[in-house]
Amino acid sequence: MAVQRSDAELARDARAGSEAAYRELVTRYATPAVNFTYRMVRDRALAEDLAQEGFLRVYQRLHTFDPARRFSSWFFQVLRNVTIDHLRVHRIPTASLDELEEDGRRVSIVDREDASPEELAGQGELASAMTAALSRLRPEYREVVVLRYQEGLTQPEIAQMLGLPAGTVKTYLHRARKELAELLAARGWSPESREPTPGKTL
Amino acid sequence: MNSDPIESDMDRKELNAWLMAEEGGDEEAADAAFAHLFSAVPRVEPRPMFVEQVVIAAWAWRARRRRQMALLWAAAVVLVAAAAASASVASPVLARTVVKTIAFVGGHTVPWLVAYASVALHGWLTLGHVGAVIAGTLMTPGRVAALVGVELVGILAFYALRRVAGAERLGDVQV
Repeated sequence: MAVQRSDAELARDARAGSEAAYRELVTRYATPAVNFTYRMVRDRALAEDLAQEGFLRVYQRLHTFDPARRFSSWFFQVLRNVTIDHLRVHRIPTASLDELEEDGRRVSIVDREDASPEELAGQGELASAMTAALSRLRPEYREVVVLRYQEGLTQPEIAQMLGLPAGTVKTYLHRARKELAELLAARGWSPESREPTPGKTL
Repeated sequence: MNSDPIESDMDRKELNAWLMAEEGGDEEAADAAFAHLFSAVPRVEPRPMFVEQVVIAAWAWRARRRRQMALLWAAAVVLVAAAAASASVASPVLARTVVKTIAFVGGHTVPWLVAYASVALHGWLTLGHVGAVIAGTLMTPGRVAALVGVELVGILAFYALRRVAGAERLGDVQV
């Protein structure tokens, strides 16, 4: 039985010129990368372009990867920088805390769309509701939720990635879950009700 | 949309487990329950050709980079060789010209530089002397202590202001 090589080993081999190692890394991280960028920009084609650019930048900077660090954490940091660079150039106010209103409920351009039908298709009811609610979160909350609960990064890793204090990440996660609970309740998914209330939408 | 009552009931149980953990203020339990619940949210998948496109793009960049590096090395070698050749051919004339130029420029500029440096140094020394006299007149140990105290208070206030401003901007409140 073949032993699966670690990300760090693949990164080392890819840096040394192994196409197979790089291909394996891309295969492992293709879905997380596109999923992450999609949650940030809400456009599938753009998400794939950004993910591809992220992979290229990762390849160009493999020599800066510290094997003592978890590869996924470093990878998402590079990918996030690519995404933020794009959003800054195209002036989409998705990551700026300064632009958020005091009540924290300002919805940026990229959040105004509801979840796409193909995204919702084939999911359970609660998963559909959760996907739609996720798209309504503030970008910084959405970002930490995806990194924590879909990509499995720890809070300290997210804090290091985003350059934020660990307490802030913890707060973001707490508030994000709270807002998701409120959004789900608005859709009929509250603990009191036995079944989702039909007709309610976000 | 799934309308399976069994699955819907499972959803409800998991949702309740999460919400109860949130209401109970148990951060770890809420985190774990939400992680379990959120695992049902599907990821957005890339198109089938995505991996191939990424690898092709990276290797195209690699090939370009290698060509550029090879060109740069070739250019550097050519330049060094050309420089060495021209130096070996024209060295007597070149060396004489360079030495003459350095001697001419040096002979005309060094005395001026020394003179200007002396004047500037004298000015600074005078200012330093005036400063020392004023300081000696005004500064007593008590005044120095008071000044240092005021500086420290100012630094602490500035530090506190930055902390408060930073916490407000980032929403850095412990849960």
